[in-house]
Amino acid sequence: MQPSVYHGVWRAAVHTLRTRGTPPCRLLSTAPLADAETIFALSSGHGRCGVAVVRTSGPASATALKHMAGLTRNLPPPRTALLRSITHPQSKEVLDRGLVLWFPAPHSFTGEDCVEFHIHGGPAVITAVLQALGSVAGMRPADAGEFTRRAFQAGKLGLTEVEGLGDLIHAETEAQRRQALRQMSGELGRLYQDWSHRLKRCLAHVEAFIDFSEDELIEDGVLNQVDSSVCDLQAEMERHLKDERRGERLRSGVQVVIAGATNAGKSSLLNTLCQRPAAIVSPIAGTTRDVVETALDIGGFPILLSDTAGLRDSPDLVEREGVRRARERVEQADLTLVVVDCAQLSSDAQQAAAFIRGHLTSILPTQEQPETVFPTDRFLLVLNKSDLLPEEQKQKLDRELRCVSGLPPVCLISCHTNEGLQDFLTVLHSSVKTLCGDPLSGAPTLTQARHRAHLQQCFAALAQYQRYRDMDMALAAEGVRLALTSLGRITGRVGAEEILDIIFKDFCIGK
Amino acid sequence: MLTKKLPPLQSFLVQVSRRASHVARQQYDVIVVGGGHAGTEAAAAAARVGAQTLLVSQKIHTIGALSCNPSLGGVGKGQLVKEIDALDGVCGRAGDWAGIHFSILNRSKGPAVWGPRAQLDRQRYREFIQSELLSTPRLTVLEGSVEELLVTEPNPEEPGQHRVTGIRLANESHPISASSVILTTGTFLSGSLFMGQTTSPGGRIGDAPSSAGLSHTLRERLGLRTGRLRTGTPPRIVKDSVDLSLAQLHPPDSHSTPFSFLNTHTRCKPEEQLPCYLTYTTPGVERVVKESLHLNCHIQQDTKGPRYCPSIESRVLRFPGRSHRVWLEPEGMTSDLLYPQGLSMTMPPDVQLRLIREIPAMHRAEIHTPGYGVQYDFVCPTQLSPALQVKSTQGLFLAGQINGTTGYEEAAAQGLWAGVNAARWALSMPAVALSRTESYIGVLIDDLVSRGVTEPYRMFTSRAEFRTTLRPDNADLRLTLKGFEEVGCVSSFRYQKAVRVRDSLQDALAALQSLALSPSIWRKKMPDIPMSETKNNVPTGMDILQYNDVSFETMASAFPECLSPYMEFSQRLKIEAVYRPHSEQQRKEIERIQREENMSLPQDIDYLSLPVSLSQEVREILDRVRPSTLGAATRLQGITPAAVVHLLNYVRHTGQKERRPHRYRTDQREDEEPRARNTSLPR
Repeated sequence: MQPSVYHGVWRAAVHTLRTRGTPPCRLLSTAPLADAETIFALSSGHGRCGVAVVRTSGPASATALKHMAGLTRNLPPPRTALLRSITHPQSKEVLDRGLVLWFPAPHSFTGEDCVEFHIHGGPAVITAVLQALGSVAGMRPADAGEFTRRAFQAGKLGLTEVEGLGDLIHAETEAQRRQALRQMSGELGRLYQDWSHRLKRCLAHVEAFIDFSEDELIEDGVLNQVDSSVCDLQAEMERHLKDERRGERLRSGVQVVIAGATNAGKSSLLNTLCQRPAAIVSPIAGTTRDVVETALDIGGFPILLSDTAGLRDSPDLVEREGVRRARERVEQADLTLVVVDCAQLSSDAQQAAAFIRGHLTSILPTQEQPETVFPTDRFLLVLNKSDLLPEEQKQKLDRELRCVSGLPPVCLISCHTNEGLQDFLTVLHSSVKTLCGDPLSGAPTLTQARHRAHLQQCFAALAQYQRYRDMDMALAAEGVRLALTSLGRITGRVGAEEILDIIFKDFCIGK
Repeated sequence: MLTKKLPPLQSFLVQVSRRASHVARQQYDVIVVGGGHAGTEAAAAAARVGAQTLLVSQKIHTIGALSCNPSLGGVGKGQLVKEIDALDGVCGRAGDWAGIHFSILNRSKGPAVWGPRAQLDRQRYREFIQSELLSTPRLTVLEGSVEELLVTEPNPEEPGQHRVTGIRLANESHPISASSVILTTGTFLSGSLFMGQTTSPGGRIGDAPSSAGLSHTLRERLGLRTGRLRTGTPPRIVKDSVDLSLAQLHPPDSHSTPFSFLNTHTRCKPEEQLPCYLTYTTPGVERVVKESLHLNCHIQQDTKGPRYCPSIESRVLRFPGRSHRVWLEPEGMTSDLLYPQGLSMTMPPDVQLRLIREIPAMHRAEIHTPGYGVQYDFVCPTQLSPALQVKSTQGLFLAGQINGTTGYEEAAAQGLWAGVNAARWALSMPAVALSRTESYIGVLIDDLVSRGVTEPYRMFTSRAEFRTTLRPDNADLRLTLKGFEEVGCVSSFRYQKAVRVRDSLQDALAALQSLALSPSIWRKKMPDIPMSETKNNVPTGMDILQYNDVSFETMASAFPECLSPYMEFSQRLKIEAVYRPHSEQQRKEIERIQREENMSLPQDIDYLSLPVSLSQEVREILDRVRPSTLGAATRLQGITPAAVVHLLNYVRHTGQKERRPHRYRTDQREDEEPRARNTSLPR
């Protein structure tokens, strides 16, 4: 199953690269290449910031601006900030009061019509504005890298900026994937998976009816079942989309996970960081068996800190489950603090580095094997129990490990004596700050807005099934296909083979 | 009009040679091995493209034989037949000539999934195919058994790369050389026949097994990976021994729709056509299967069978306690036999008789020929390019069951495309590819070469993402024009006809579009249409024609002056109007895929050591499958977007200057885009 975000990223990547090969004259043309859709995204970071910037790009930008900033007659003068009440285009409810800026094509970041909304930084306001934008016809949440891609198409980016595009897309895909994983592991995820499962069956049965009912015995009731299934799904989706609670509340913040071997001092680190005994600490290996979660504030940025069970093979069922959860958390984390007992390290720096590398690889989620370079920006190495080392060896280790390339930042601390804690907090603060600058990490609102857009498309596609049900099965089936594709952007793409699997399982199809 | 008169069969047999020494030349552009559905289309297509072509078959009189079911087309398969015909292939016209029961399946489910189908007269079908091949210029037919495939030693500059040089026939010392060889050996590659507890080598009952030399060359010398698949055929039943009054009568359509775009009617008139009969299995059938399992080698060896049910044994074992359909189909106009579709079986003949007699209509039936199973080798098709050329062997093409497919239509489609590309290779023309966005043939080939097969591959309409655009009605517009202009496999006669159709349809659609009237005028002119009062826009003829109850005929009688010239296209116009809005929606997605497919990936990249940021997993997938285009790469499981971006970055920087002549076409379609945009019909 491919993560939902792939599809759009893919399109972006391919589109961009195609353009790269074309002659420069084409490259510099300001006409957008067949992209009639207007995209929007939060383009500032989150956390404790006073102002958030939401950006749009595409032809519907002007409409959105007019409707949401109450500018019925004229658009504001280009590139001039204007203080307006920002309202929901349908309900006319005032969402915030903020600055709006209008950048008509081609003099904008992407070369298309762009609008910037500078609003207050609270999550409630941001969510409201994003969802209001999503309700404007022709607008959808941007895919990873999409603003950059459009800028590139319009000839607004230099070659060096383009060089980084692959890595950018990789980073954004990963961030979205982790975000989606977090969201999909909850109640909401189960709901979407259930819908996806039922839609797959609907599609399989419609396809079986089309491809096989003339030759094989496809029971008469099959289509009636699909009819009632589609009706139920429509009703459930409609209720869900209307639900003002917008599903479960997700905790905002950079997800930081503490991981490592047993007895390395992970729980001690958690307690040290939150300055209270949140987790039980003992010299017995395997003390922590579940995930212990605490919300923290590091230098003004919200983080969600999780302590996890020590990673080891254990015959104990409960501990095994704890290890599984720990690995799951690492996979979903924005930042992982890998704790190592430095008393176990060899005094030889090369050997110590090799040990650490092996250790990191064992912690990494399996499907995320390094693509030649280790994702150092997502890991911090915490060498704990420095108080157990002689001063001389401590300094040597610290000095030499810093020189080893390919390792994440290293901090030597002692949770026992608080030695090195200040330096560690500085490093952690800067990492968290970088992550918060990335609008994608830790912000569930964006994922929610994207999911909502896909759900709305899914819902609309089911209406096509109803409309054509008695006229043209091919077009009716198209509706179910579209619905499944839209939902698949959330729950993972569904291929033709998967549908055939269901068909052959449910019906006896001959040669 | 049917387009040709058949010459008498005798003259055909006189003009083909039975021994290689009688063949005029010892060198051809293209040699086709095998005379089944793939082989005949391949030979005909290669010759149409302009190659001197030789077709070698074990027995000349089995060329064009229907080895299994006496029918052509159906849901999904009918689409393939229409497309083969649009590319000037043979089987559509042969079907119109030999058909003795025509019907459109799925009639009530929408024109995109209509399945044109016909029961065939075996004798007539073979006659037509043989006479067609005979009258094809540049094509020679030879009876013989291929002993050896001749290939060069691997090229030292490109390790593992061979080139085909020709074939050697059994009992002949002189080789016959050719630039391209197409293997269409069907089930004969290491084939074994199964009936009851006996097995014997062979690919079809009554035919000699093919030589072991061929499979040896493919596997040992060329190092091709093969797999094993199974299929089967039912017993043939003596018609007079069946009590047809106990079966359900299924007459043909009252109006026969021909397969071919060149034909306006079928040879056999509806009133002369024969019916089919439908009957069902009983609990007795299930009992006989279960009691005789120990006597049934083929089924016992069913370790990793397909997901569908190829035989009555698998049907009752996997879906017990149900009654299954059995169709009784005529085998020919004058044939004494019936073909029991759905009763493929491999038990001993006496048990077969017991089994069929458990079905009421056949309680006294006699078996003419018992059913049997076949197990055979296929070459894993991911080792082929989209031109169906073996990637490691220049000039070697494979088509049909050897690639792991099942069905006449699937074989014919591959044969045609392999024939086209084999000829183009021999004539030093660049390879051509069909996109899955423009044809079922493209879907078939793309599925085969980029995903491979685990069970016999059969076409379903659900495999085509753009099913509502790839319709049977518009196959000529999608393929005939391209087939003439870019591929070279379509005659100018057919091309002219397609151009006329395209132009007329365009004019008609323009006329419908310009018919923009207020709702009140529409109501006045056509009182029966369900026009909503509230609409204050000006609907066009195209909009109104989308309505369920409005036909083009009704509209033309209301506006005779502007629409009556287009009466002959009334059905196509109605279909076009209904699907037009959906095709428009799909256009962007189609264009995206076509862009990706126009970006080719060199076949000689060493993915395992490529100095770009790719994970080991991605490298291994790419190395194994070696996708030909970015489009194919995107559809592989496990390839991340970032991986493709990195890969393309590399290819863009290094690959462009050394593009080879035989790579796939690139970017040409894009240059033609402005013209395509202006035309109002889908291409």
